[in-house]
Amino acid sequence: MAAGDIPNSTAQTLQAARESLDEGLFPLEFFHDEGLHDLEMERIFAQSWVFIGHESEIPEPGDYAQRYIGDDTFIFVRDESGEINLLFDSCRHRGTEVCRAEQGNTSHFRCPYHGWTYKNNGEAAGIPQKSKAFKDLDREEYGLAHVPRLETYEGLVFASLAEEGPSLDEWLGDFKWYFDVHMKLPEGGMEVIGEPHRWVVDANWKTIADNFNGDSYHTAWAHGSVVDLELGGEETVGHAGTGESLDRHIHCDGHTTSMRGFEGEDVFLTYPDEIVEDLFTKDDLSEGQWELAKQALSFTGAIFPNFGFLHFGDTTDDPEKDVAPFFTIRKWRPIGPDQMELWSWGLAPKNAPEAFKQRMYKMYTSNFGPTGNFEQDDVPIWKSITEAADGQFAQSQNLQLNYQMGLEWMSEMDIDDEWLGPGFAYTENLEEGGMRLFHEQWYEMLAGNDRTDATGSPINVTEDR
Amino acid sequence: MLTDHQADIESLLVERSVEQFLYYEAELLDNRELHEWFDHIADDISYRMPRRLMRENQASAFSEQGYYFNEDYGSLKARVERFDSEYAWAERPPTRTRRHVTNVSVSEDDDSLDDGELHVESNLLVYLSRGDSEAHTFYSARRIDTLRQTDESFEIADREIRLDQTVLDTDNISIFL
Repeated sequence: MAAGDIPNSTAQTLQAARESLDEGLFPLEFFHDEGLHDLEMERIFAQSWVFIGHESEIPEPGDYAQRYIGDDTFIFVRDESGEINLLFDSCRHRGTEVCRAEQGNTSHFRCPYHGWTYKNNGEAAGIPQKSKAFKDLDREEYGLAHVPRLETYEGLVFASLAEEGPSLDEWLGDFKWYFDVHMKLPEGGMEVIGEPHRWVVDANWKTIADNFNGDSYHTAWAHGSVVDLELGGEETVGHAGTGESLDRHIHCDGHTTSMRGFEGEDVFLTYPDEIVEDLFTKDDLSEGQWELAKQALSFTGAIFPNFGFLHFGDTTDDPEKDVAPFFTIRKWRPIGPDQMELWSWGLAPKNAPEAFKQRMYKMYTSNFGPTGNFEQDDVPIWKSITEAADGQFAQSQNLQLNYQMGLEWMSEMDIDDEWLGPGFAYTENLEEGGMRLFHEQWYEMLAGNDRTDATGSPINVTEDR
Repeated sequence: MLTDHQADIESLLVERSVEQFLYYEAELLDNRELHEWFDHIADDISYRMPRRLMRENQASAFSEQGYYFNEDYGSLKARVERFDSEYAWAERPPTRTRRHVTNVSVSEDDDSLDDGELHVESNLLVYLSRGDSEAHTFYSARRIDTLRQTDESFEIADREIRLDQTVLDTDNISIFL
C-alpha cells in the first residue's frame, strides 16, 4: 500500500508529526481522530500480529471462545483433532454469526437463520435440503473462513489478517529472549486462570500503549495510593530514577520492557522459595535469561501494537500479609477513536500448587483488571487524555505532547555496555524512548512502510550482543 | 411456643429490620462514609464478586476461578483505606452513586447459618456518574448475603455479588457493591 492513498492533508500532518517525533514531540490531537482511527484499523490492525488468547483457555477438543481483531469477530476453537483454529464468525450463506456465546464447548456451530452447520474445524457439515436447494454447491468451498495466518509462541496464539508479511517469529524478533523468561521460567510453563476480564473504556488505545511502553515515571504519582498503603514496595512502585536498584528500560526489535531488580541478588520476582526451588528451571533458558530472572523484582512491557504484560513481585492485597507475585497479560482493542475494549488475563505457573495459583490470581485482581488497586486509577487518566484531544483547541494550537525524557539534551542517559540480553538497555528508567519507538512504528505503518523502518536516534542500537 | 400469628409478626419484623439495614448500608456507601460502612463488616467476612460467564444454554453461570473481588477482612480494609489517600484518582472527585435495593428475601432456616445469622438476598441497581459529564453507567446485581445480628444492627459476614454484566461498561470498579 502506498502512502499516496492517504488524503494529502492527513499525509502532510503525519509527515510533520514524524519529523517532530525526532524532537520528542507528538500531537495531542492524534489521540482522538476519526480519520486516523480508520487508517489504524486498515494499516496497523489488519497488518500486524494481534494477540488472540492462550492455548490453556481452550484445553479440550470443542472448547471455543469468541475473540476479536479490530472490528471483526472470530471463533477461537480447538477442533476434534486438537488443532487450534481461528474462524471468521459469519455463515457463508447469509452472513449470520454462528457462534452465540462468549465461551463454551461444541462439536458444531449451527446458523440460527437457515440451519447451515459447521464442524469445529470450520468445514461445512450440513446444508438443509441441499440435494434439492443447493445441489451443485461444493461443501469444501463453503466452510467458515479461516484467518489468513495463525501462529503460536509459547502457548500464546496470535493472528494476522494479512496474507503475507513477517512471520510471528520475525515480528517478535529477539524480544522473545525477554518474554521467554516469563513463559519458560517455571517447569511446564504458564497457564491462564479463569476467564479474561473485559471492560470497555472511553479512551484511545494509544494512551495505554504509551503507558506499557516504558512509563516508569508515572508509578509513584498515579499509584501513590498503593505506596501510601504499603501495598507495594518503594522499589516496585516508587519514584523512577531514584533507586540503587537494577532499573532498566530495554528496547528490542520494536518492543519494550522495563524492569526493576537488584544487581547480584536472588530476587526471582519474590516467588516463594519453594516455587523457585521446586519449579523454576534453567532447562529452557540461557545463562543470561536465568540471571535476569534471578535479579528481577518486576517487569512491565508491550509487544507492538496492542499486547501488554506485567510480571510483578513485592505487592500484596493487605499490608499485614506477605508479598506475592502476579503475572498478567492484556490486549487493548480499539473500537473507535475514543473507545477501546480492555482484555486482561491472570496467569500462574501450570505446575504450581493450587493454593499458590489462587494467591497469584488474587494478587492480579487486587492490583490490575477493573478492580485493581493500581488500575482503577489508570483508566480515568487515559480517558481524560482522549477527552482533551477531542475538539478544536488541540488541533488549532498544534499542541504537542512532550516525549523528550531521555533525549540527549534533556537527560544524561547511558546505555548499559554489560547488558546481558539482546537489544539495548538504558541504565536509567527515566526516559521515554519506548513510547517514541511505539509512535515511530505507528507512523511507518500508517505511511504504508514497514514498521522496522522506524529509525529515530538514539532509538535503534543495532550492534550485536 | 408462638402462635402462627405471632410468628408471622416476628418474621415481618425481622424482614423490616433487614431491609432497613440494607437501605442504611446503601446510604453509607452513597455518602462515601466508607469507614462507617466497614464497621458493619464482620472480621471473618468473605466478600466476593465472581466473573459472570455467558453460555449458550445457561441463564446464569459464574466462573469457578475468575472473579473481580475475593476479599477477606484485611484486603477489604486495605481497599477502604486506599480511598483515604489523596492519590486514589479513581475517586477524586468521588463518583456520584445511587444504590437501589429491591426484591429482598430473608431466610432464617438455612442449614449453613449459625445462631443469629440470616440468609438475605437482594437486587442492587447502582447509578454511577463521574466528572463534569452527563455520561453515566449502571451496575446491576443480585446480592447473596449472610447477615449477623449484633446488639443494635447487623454485620455482613458473607457477601456474593452476582453482577449481570459480562463485559463491563465502566472505567473501573472503584466502589463497593
